[in-house]
Amino acid sequence: MAKIRPDYETSWFGRLMHWLENGSTALDDAMTDEMDAHSRDHLVDSEHHHATQEHALEERRHAALEREQRMYSSLHQWASTKGSRLMRWVYIVASVVMCVGIIALLLNTAANLPPYGDPDNPVNNEVSAHYITQGQAETGAVNIVAGMILDYRAFDTLGESNVLFIAAVTVLVLLRLAPSRDGKPTTEMLEAEADDRLYEPKHDMILQHQANLLVPLILLFGIYVVMNGHISPGGGFSGGAIMGAGLILYLNAFGFRKTERFFTFRTFQIVSLMALAFYACSKAYSFFTGANHLPSIFSPGTPGMLFSAGLIPYLNIAVGLVVCCTMYAFYTLFRKGDM
Amino acid sequence: MTEAYNILFTGALIVIGVLLLACLIRAIRGPRIADRVIAVNMMGTLIVISICILSFMMGEGWLVDIAMIYTMLSFLAVVLLTKVYMGIYREKRRQREEGQQDA
Amino acid sequence: MLDIIRFVISAALTLAGLFCLLSGVVGVYKFRYALSRVHAAALLDTVGILLMLLGVIVATGFTVASLKMLVVIAFLWLTSPVAGHLIGRLEVTINDELSRDADVLDQDYVEQEKVPETTTTPADDTQEEAQ
Repeated sequence: MAKIRPDYETSWFGRLMHWLENGSTALDDAMTDEMDAHSRDHLVDSEHHHATQEHALEERRHAALEREQRMYSSLHQWASTKGSRLMRWVYIVASVVMCVGIIALLLNTAANLPPYGDPDNPVNNEVSAHYITQGQAETGAVNIVAGMILDYRAFDTLGESNVLFIAAVTVLVLLRLAPSRDGKPTTEMLEAEADDRLYEPKHDMILQHQANLLVPLILLFGIYVVMNGHISPGGGFSGGAIMGAGLILYLNAFGFRKTERFFTFRTFQIVSLMALAFYACSKAYSFFTGANHLPSIFSPGTPGMLFSAGLIPYLNIAVGLVVCCTMYAFYTLFRKGDM
Repeated sequence: MTEAYNILFTGALIVIGVLLLACLIRAIRGPRIADRVIAVNMMGTLIVISICILSFMMGEGWLVDIAMIYTMLSFLAVVLLTKVYMGIYREKRRQREEGQQDA
Repeated sequence: MLDIIRFVISAALTLAGLFCLLSGVVGVYKFRYALSRVHAAALLDTVGILLMLLGVIVATGFTVASLKMLVVIAFLWLTSPVAGHLIGRLEVTINDELSRDADVLDQDYVEQEKVPETTTTPADDTQEEAQ
């Protein structure tokens, strides 16, 4: 940490911060202070002088305040009567002009796009041709899109999972009630729980019996979508969202106490960190080995089998876990502020 | 034969589209909150039907997975919406009662 | 010949399903109170989707996709009554003048719904679990 200089209050930065916080009278006062400070060096130090100086400072401050009030009162009067009407008209006109302008710009852009599906489009270059012709043979995935996002462009997908993780961490930082140091719940947490009980005072029996049957089905379906990412459309992101939806249904039916038996904050931490670390380690080591990591030790296998396509099923599982934990974390943090 | 199926299912899709619009109008106009939640649930079911019809018309078998996801999500939406609205009502009622006790 | 029979059966089921959907939506418009509209909306979730999806299943034949459509029907039948129950509970809780719109048979339950019991504390929950 840098040391604060002894003349911070009268330096230009200190005065700037003071002005930003308190208003323009502070600048006048600081300027008068500086003038007096400079002039004090040349004058004899005496009590009488101090008293007159302070008295003069006070009078100047009062005069500045009165001037400000007079100026601003007329400004406030204008702002609350004619000014607000003017601003309303300005807002309406400006919003209409901006909307029409942006719509015209977008329509013009859309009209000048190249024709749909034309083979001369800039999109149809040799890269996409290579993906389409060689995609299944090189990656082993029947679903070319999964082969592309998890094998050819796996680094971009790492960035996406990272973005999800950062979003979850940001929401945690902003919304999580600070845990107490000695393990007992703080008053904030008890208040949040008491507020939350309004939303679930007594658990619904019908919903509970339904959730007993439905949550395993939803989780099973989520796992099916995740595991089949390389065979049929699906993959980690959609399967993770379905698994998160299953967990949210369980939480809604049974309440926080029963969900904390198997999903606590520690679980969320460990699962998302390990999944993201596994993804990063398995696809980002090319920074150290150069760009020669396409022939991996996992062979592509026969296309269409469940455990084919090299690393893609495992990466799908990792992405699915991250997305599932993130969805659940968003729900509980927004609802109660804790997990 | 495929033209006959196409005509039949295209007609069904048009009717379902009109019904979707009708449910949307009910969701906007419905005077009570429960009307809106009912309309949202109905719209979800209509969309599931249209996804299944489209999966047959386009010959793609994997689109039915999307229909399954959509049923799960619409059910979850109804559960959460009802919980949120009941909680808001209870909060407002408690605030009103506390205001009356203070006054 | 078989194709024509399949088409006729599929068309009959689809048209019957469309009729049920139409009557469900018309019912939602005609009924005047939210709790009655739940009856009309349930028509879509049960009979409407059954007949329409049976029409599509007959058209596609016996594939994995038709099995998945049967699973969709089963899932919707499992979840739709619970959704209707929750919507009814919502309406009963929120409505302040329930006795004007409907016949109230159990006023205590309505009061219990509107004012949550403040006595459920964590200690009570653990006691319930111990039992």
